[in-house]
Order: sequence, then structure tokens, then C-alpha cells
Amino acid sequence: MSATTTGPTTTDTTPTVLAGGQRLVLLGSRTRPWFAVVVRTRAGAVGAAFLVLAAVLAVATLTLGELGIPLAELPGVLAGEGSRAQEWTLFTSRLPRLGVAVLAGAAFGVSGAIFQSVTRNPLGSPDVIGLGAGAAAGAAAAALVWPGLVPTPVGALVGAFVAIAAVYLGTGRGFGAPHRMVVVGIATGAMALAFVQLALVRASRESAQEVAVWITGSLAARATEHVQVIALAVVVLLPLALVLTRPLQLAEMGDDLATGVGASVRFSRPAAVVVAVLLTGAAVSVSGPIAFVALTAPQIARRLTRSSGPGILAAACCGAFLLVLADLVAQYALPGTLLPVGVVTAGVGGIYLAFLLVREWKQVSV
Amino acid sequence: MSVVEAGVAPLAVEDLVMEYDGAPVIDGLSLAVPRDAFTVIVGPNGCGKSTLLRALARTMKPRAGRVLLDGAPIGDLRGKEVARRVALLPQSPIAPEAITVGDLVARGRYPHQGLLRQWSDADARAVEGALAATETAELRDRLVSSLSGGQRQRVWLAMALAQDTGLLLLDEPTTFLDIAHQYEMLSLCARLHREGRTLVAVLHDLNQAARFATHLVVMRDGAVVAQGPPSDIITAELVESVFGMPARIIPDPVTGTPLVVPAT
Repeated sequence: MSATTTGPTTTDTTPTVLAGGQRLVLLGSRTRPWFAVVVRTRAGAVGAAFLVLAAVLAVATLTLGELGIPLAELPGVLAGEGSRAQEWTLFTSRLPRLGVAVLAGAAFGVSGAIFQSVTRNPLGSPDVIGLGAGAAAGAAAAALVWPGLVPTPVGALVGAFVAIAAVYLGTGRGFGAPHRMVVVGIATGAMALAFVQLALVRASRESAQEVAVWITGSLAARATEHVQVIALAVVVLLPLALVLTRPLQLAEMGDDLATGVGASVRFSRPAAVVVAVLLTGAAVSVSGPIAFVALTAPQIARRLTRSSGPGILAAACCGAFLLVLADLVAQYALPGTLLPVGVVTAGVGGIYLAFLLVREWKQVSV
Repeated sequence: MSVVEAGVAPLAVEDLVMEYDGAPVIDGLSLAVPRDAFTVIVGPNGCGKSTLLRALARTMKPRAGRVLLDGAPIGDLRGKEVARRVALLPQSPIAPEAITVGDLVARGRYPHQGLLRQWSDADARAVEGALAATETAELRDRLVSSLSGGQRQRVWLAMALAQDTGLLLLDEPTTFLDIAHQYEMLSLCARLHREGRTLVAVLHDLNQAARFATHLVVMRDGAVVAQGPPSDIITAELVESVFGMPARIIPDPVTGTPLVVPAT
């Protein structure tokens, strides 16, 4: 028996250091703990690093710009001792915007991690397989085609579910055909975008303008209620995603193998998809279908953690960091111009998407 | 033979009907897997042997009929409960990117773990035992993607062994291996059987089946044509009627088991 894996075996206590940079977090008695969860040291470090970086960027978003609150005064204003103008800037404008960026970024990251795991393909992220486009189509339908029927965010959520239903039906084998999901999803996304274009062309100029900005994905003018919506979604859905991590990990190894070890693919896969669609829907409803955070965040997290599973928490941290970063770039990259954040993520993420497509194409043609 | 005659079989099917897209592959098959045997299912392509194994492993739902685990309908049991008693080595599992051998084998412990109890001393012992039994302990920290085909198959077997079950199902475990590694794999299976496990395997090669099986099940057109110890049931007539090939049966010069030699 190798000492590197299990340590001394003379005692009956469970060793806390496992192979491959993993640690066991134990609660309760050492011999019979009620809580024994395996934590990857590297994944923990990467997630923490993303959070620290996001915090640094967060301070930057609060202090930069004409209305920015100087760093020295920030604690005071947070404690309610600033001028009225400063308090307005912080609590009505910048903090809600930051909160939406952090939470929507995390939601996109988790949703992407789940979809990439279910489709066993880095291309299978919600923004590539038509969920974002479906949400945009739903929003366009609610705001422009049948105004007043449902609120725009509800339209977005309905659109996301319609898109995933189309993918489910289009594969002919539900979610059990990962590669078909990507192909059918791209087609679904194209059709949804066509619907969006149609709605924009037929709409009046002002309302079309408003919806066009929303569809690009923007964090401008976010309010506290937006933070509440996305916070509720993340608080409820992130734990569910974490519970589904291990069944998803096994499902990635093939349906037969997962069934063989007792992980019910028939239950866990649809459950994970619903969690991911709800997360995407919630994020889209507060920020618009910001492109490619869901595509890139889980992949960056996976590379850095060298993990062999969906890596839900690391993807959440990475997504939060990416969206805060992208929003900062969107606000200050071009002096005098405020870009919608979706333009930045689409620009950078598009390059990564092209890289993925080329790699996929090479694999197929070899 | 009936299930009752054999006592309670560890694994059995009753009046099994299996269909692909409405076309029946197996139509009313009953079979009891004998306890402590190395059962091998053989037959020509499309005879339903893999489909039968899929029913036993519950990776495919029967259209009708029952699969019984120790006499209880397997469909009534929870997935993890079944997985603590039956392990499966599927035909083409997918190794995740960047996974080490140790981590992969450890995933076989899933049915013994809970949401909040993901690792225990028993898990560590079972993983060690599985690595030792398949002689893969020294590969523990290697990436699965860096292994040869034979090593990889032993690692997948180790993952199934880590489940620590009395029953082990193997779906064509030699398919992607060269001949030396095929025999290495089957010898390993025979050793696992001698150590007290009940094995059920689907094999392509009749001679390998005859050499390693203690109980041979011969299938044709979705039905069991013959079953029993290989030396009792393999005859030239059986081979000709099942595989449509004239053959002579001689004793294997190494093991004495029946050796099928084509007589065309």
C-alpha cells in the first residue's frame, strides 16, 4: 500500500490527505464522520484566486470614473457617512450594477459548466446551443410582438425553455445524444435570432432601440430588484447544481457506466438541464443574453484547476470574475463611450469560439 | 431449467422481451445465472447476447418480463442499492480529460458514498484492493489518457472492482485489445472468479469462451440454444446449427477444453 495515498494505515481514522492534491474535509468523529467531502486543493485555490481578483476589480468599478468614490472614502460611504450624491452613486447605481455582474456571471458560469458536462463538449454551452438566443427571442416577443402580455424577463425565461424544448425534441433522443444537442442547438439559436431580427424590423424605432440594447446584453441602469432576482436564483440553484455534480461527473463517462455505479442518468441529466436553464433565464432576465461567459468561464476554470468534472464552484467564481472584468472594460476601454458589456464579451468570446470550432473541425477531419 | 430449481439465482431473467425501436431482439427468454460461476454468453452477431447483458445490467429497459437480483425484481431496487451488488464493465466507457488512474478507480465507490459522506476508510481500502487485483497500483498517478489499451482496460476493470460487488458483468471486455492482452484480460477475469466472484461476460470468440467459462450460454435469434459446462455442450452439430459453419471439435492442447476448428 502506497503511503502517498492513504498515509499511515495503522490507525482506524480516515486519512485526510488523499491522492492527486485532494483533501478530505471531515466533521464529526474522526473514525465515523457524518460529513466527509473531498475537496481538490487546486480547485479551491483557483476559485479563491478568482474571487480575490473579482474583489479587486469590484473596488475599481466603485472608485473609477467621474462619479467614482475615492478609495479612502469608500468605507465611510459604505457605512452611510458619505454625501447624498456619493450615496446615490454607490447604492443606486454602482453597487446594484456590480451585484448583477457578479451574480449573473456566476449563474452563466454554472449554467455553462452544466451544459458542457451534459453535452460532453465545450461547444455545448447555453449561448452556443440557442438558449441565449431563445431567451432573446422570448424577450423580443414579450416586449415588441405582444407587448403587455407578460413582463420581458418572463418572456426571456419562456424563450429559454422553448429553445431547450426544441433541442430536446430535435435530437430525437432527448438529452441522451450529446453531439446532436450541439448541432440542433446551433440551428435553434439561428432560428431564434431570425425571429429577433423580424421583431426588431417590425417594431417602432424607440422600442426596437431599447430591446436591441437589452439583447446585446447590458448592465447599465441596474437596480436593487435586479440584484434580488439573480441573488434568489443563485442562492436556490447553486446548491442544487452542487448536489448534481457527482452524478454529472459519472454521466460524462457514458450512460452505461453511470447506470452501472448507480447514478441515475434518467433523473440527474434532465434535473441538471432544468437547473441550468433556470440559471441562464434568471441571468438573461437581469442582464440580457450576455454572450460567451457561459462558454468560456467553465473552460478557463477547468484548464486552471485541471479538474476532470464539471467544476461548478470554480466555474461560478470564474464567471463572476469575467463579467466584472468585461463590464469594467466596457465602461472605460473607449474614453467617452459606454459600450454594452455584451459587445465586449462577444468580441473576446468570439475569438475563443472560433478557436474551438477550428479544433473541432480538425478532430473531425483527421 | 427454472429459477426455483436453481435455488435463488443471484441474477435471473423471466420471460424477457427486449426491443429496439419496436423490433424484438429477444422475445420471451428465461435464464438463471448460476452462483459462483464464470458464465459466458456467446452467439453470432445480432443474436441478442449484448442486449441480454444490457437487461441484466439494467442499462436498457425490458419491454416485458422481469430481471431478478437475488430473487427480487431489479426495477424495484434503488440504483445505488443494485450497484452495491452488481458491477458492470461497459463496452466503451469514456475517460474524462485529465483524470488520473487513482481518481478514476475511486469513482467506482460512488454507490457506497452519500452526499455528505464522500470518502471513508472503506473506500480507500476498496480502491487499494482493486488496484492491486488488476496490477495497476503503480499506474495510480498516471493520466488515463497516457495508458496503453491493455492498461486502460485493466483500469476500467479496477473501477468496477472498487464497487466491491459479488457479481460482475462484462460486455465484450476484449473487443479493442490485441490477442495477448485479450488473454491477459480473460485470465484476470478467471482469477477474479476463482477468488469467489460470480462473473457474467459476453464474448465474441467461441474458443476463448470455451477456455475460460465454467458455464456457457449459447444464443441464437434471441433465444438460448444450449447452456452448461463448455465440454458438455460444445459439439460440431451445435456449432454448425448456431454459427452456420461446419466444424470439428478437438481438445485444446493447452487446457483440454473444447477447441472449435473450422472444417470448411
